[in-house]
Amino acid sequence: MMKLKSHIPLLIAIVGLFCLPLFVHNPYYIHLAETILIYTILLFGLDIVVGYVGQVSLGHAGLFGIGSYTAGVLFFHLGWPIWATIPASIVVTAIFGGILALPALKVVGPYLAMVTLAFGTIAQILINEMTWLTEGPLGIKLTRPEIMSVPMTKAEYFWLVSGVMILALIVVDRFVKSQMGRAFEALRDSPVACDCMGVSVYRFKVIAFVISAGFAGLAGCLYAYSEQYISPNTYNNELAVLFLLGIIMGGRKSRLGAAIGAAIIVLLPKLLDDINLFRIVASIIAIIVVVGAVLALSKKLTTLKRVAIPLTGVVGLAVFSFWLESISDWRLSIFGFMILLVVYYLQSGIVGFTKSFYQSIVGKTKTTRGEVLVASDDSVSFISTVANKNTGVELLKVESVLMQFGGLKALNNVDLSIKRGTIHGLIGPNGSGKSTMMNVLTGIYIPTAGNVLFSGQSVVGKTSSDIALSGIARTFQNVQLFGEMTALQNILVGLHHTFKSNMVEIALHLPRYMKEEQEARARAVALLKFVGLEDLANEEARNLPYGKQRLLEIARALALDPELLLLDEPAAGLTAPDIKELLRIIRKIRDSGITFILIEHHMDVVMSVCDTVSVLDFGQKIAEGKPAEVQADEKVIHAYLGT
Amino acid sequence: MLGALVGLTCVDTLGMNYWLMIPVVCLFGMIQGGFVELIGVRPAIKIKSEFGWIMSTIALGIIFKNVAENIWGRDALPFPSPLSTDPITFLGANIMPMEILVVVGALVMMLAVEFFNRKTIYGKAVVATANDRDAAGLMGINTSVVITFSYALSSLTAAFAGVLIAPLTLTGATMGGALGLKAFAVAIIGGLSSGLGIIVGGLILGIVETATGFYISTGYKDVPGLILLLLVLAYKPSGLFGKSAIKKV
Repeated sequence: MMKLKSHIPLLIAIVGLFCLPLFVHNPYYIHLAETILIYTILLFGLDIVVGYVGQVSLGHAGLFGIGSYTAGVLFFHLGWPIWATIPASIVVTAIFGGILALPALKVVGPYLAMVTLAFGTIAQILINEMTWLTEGPLGIKLTRPEIMSVPMTKAEYFWLVSGVMILALIVVDRFVKSQMGRAFEALRDSPVACDCMGVSVYRFKVIAFVISAGFAGLAGCLYAYSEQYISPNTYNNELAVLFLLGIIMGGRKSRLGAAIGAAIIVLLPKLLDDINLFRIVASIIAIIVVVGAVLALSKKLTTLKRVAIPLTGVVGLAVFSFWLESISDWRLSIFGFMILLVVYYLQSGIVGFTKSFYQSIVGKTKTTRGEVLVASDDSVSFISTVANKNTGVELLKVESVLMQFGGLKALNNVDLSIKRGTIHGLIGPNGSGKSTMMNVLTGIYIPTAGNVLFSGQSVVGKTSSDIALSGIARTFQNVQLFGEMTALQNILVGLHHTFKSNMVEIALHLPRYMKEEQEARARAVALLKFVGLEDLANEEARNLPYGKQRLLEIARALALDPELLLLDEPAAGLTAPDIKELLRIIRKIRDSGITFILIEHHMDVVMSVCDTVSVLDFGQKIAEGKPAEVQADEKVIHAYLGT
Repeated sequence: MLGALVGLTCVDTLGMNYWLMIPVVCLFGMIQGGFVELIGVRPAIKIKSEFGWIMSTIALGIIFKNVAENIWGRDALPFPSPLSTDPITFLGANIMPMEILVVVGALVMMLAVEFFNRKTIYGKAVVATANDRDAAGLMGINTSVVITFSYALSSLTAAFAGVLIAPLTLTGATMGGALGLKAFAVAIIGGLSSGLGIIVGGLILGIVETATGFYISTGYKDVPGLILLLLVLAYKPSGLFGKSAIKKV
């Protein structure tokens, strides 16, 4: 019932969309609306890369062009019909998206912006120069697709575009809410933790770019038929900036935001063509901002100093609009000025801003993030008990591992032997190589020499995510949670390996995917309950107190069904009651057959739970044995106390 | 771009000498760079927006270009050459005196920047800030001034490059865009923080471009350089001569 109610505005919007051509007969306006829909599809795709994965892309104008030209060339040279060119555009553009992803894997931030810009430039040059294929600067003319050999009317094509847009909306929405969307967000928040949860950063970045490019290709194809003429000049870098502006202005991680963003970037150039319209809109914006600011000031939500600059900005823009006589010379400056205002004062986009503004004015806070908690019954086995309970058999063997950074030997011929079902402590003064050992075991560092055998197989040279999937889970010394995701979602990322369903199954919500999602949620809730966080399931991980974050990390690692669990200073920064709770949890996990390596500075923790303790100092193992023996060892006391 | 245009105004309308004009242009470039940092970069970094400053610098670029178009017009303008335009024959090739000046100017600029970074205390402050801003701040370096200053310095260099190249090409509002991406390609191919790398990167890009233009078609001449940029980033992001850093967890 609730679900239906929340869908009503959407349904009204869809019906309104389909009725539009019945009431508006001016082809110009229909064409504008059509362009907005097409850009919306593209922004859905761009949002996956920008909003979810958190990567800048200025290459989407190029991808858009590739989509258009795939359709154009197939139509022009081979006379393919639209039902064949649409999939062809999607596939071809998706392949190019994969190519764009390759350099994108290695670089971030401004470098990535430049790389994607270079990609867009290459695409435009190639389209322009490959005359034999693309007709070069002359462009390609297309006719609207035909139904029963009669060309579609403007209205009919509009309906087609609307239908495709709604399909795209549903598919994108399902993607980002599935395990794939979670993987995208996870790799944005913490790539290292993502890899160590068995979710390959490499793989999912490529997938994100490929999906995103697929949508760009679809949009490009529809655009070609909509304009009925394509030429290389359309797909320039200004268009790419415009797309990015659309996402930022509309609001990231929001389908509504993408639609608003698309409307703005389509209408903005028209707005800047007409001085009278521009004056009116500039005045309206100024009034809205002034009223909003006064409202906010009266509620003491902000200070005069903070609103002063944006206020002067928008009022100045309005005054400027009346002072101007002709707009065409200054439109780019106005455009640039608007980008600046958006970047500084509307970073979360119109959707995000309206939401938070509304909340602060009304005084309501969001309680949940719209996810209904699945009631868990205790029968769900949240820790899969390790099948092979052969305790005492060697599980992990480290053979004279050497890890060298330049001249520094962080680990110098260290041997370790961890027996199944035990808790193995790893202690030593700061800088003795404990965390380096963790990183070697989980594949973040590749050792200079030596070997690591896990269940008899070497893990050296395997990727972190492969190692994680083979059964080694870890937590981090400096907590590496996926900050913008809820506690529940964090654990669901850990459960990523339980999903077998593919993109088609997600898009169509086929039974296998639905079942996997439901099971994963039930287990995630059970895991949260186990560490005592079920009340905070829908809280964003970054808002949790420190102690709870550490517990959440352990729960997330458990979700991986590990055989070996590496805990890197789990008790650091915890209060005494928290530590007690931690010890209870560790013992309980051990009872299910999971083996531990525990790095810790709290000696009481080490002494009370560890079966064996190894001591590292300056990268070398100086002692090993039962906790009490190690504690009494001369060398260990020397290492800790000096002299 | 603006550097060249301001230079042109100085020479043309104010009747200034070319050599006298250079410091004026450099000063202007410095002010512009500081302005960009102050308006575009600092607020964006303060609000911790990931692409905020990318967008805001693009926006400022758009505004500068548009303002320049409105002041100097849309057409490219010829820039008077300070040296004679008769080519000199050198090893069988015809070289314009101005081209030699460009090479000399580039070398001087490079040596100056290297000297500044390695030998002076201010240069060390810049390098320190680049390495670790917080630590530099704790050492008593006013990092925000250093950052503003480095933007100013880099703009100064760009403006200087603008007046150097202007007599060889035409001056106009659109001259900047293509060069920006190219400069980036050179820096990446050679490797950031490596003076030698940048020269080699520039040579590689220049040779590849001209060769493509000669053997295939001038229309394609930008493509191999950009593809090279993508390949270098995909396989050796630190550049051909850069040192790779070890990530710490």
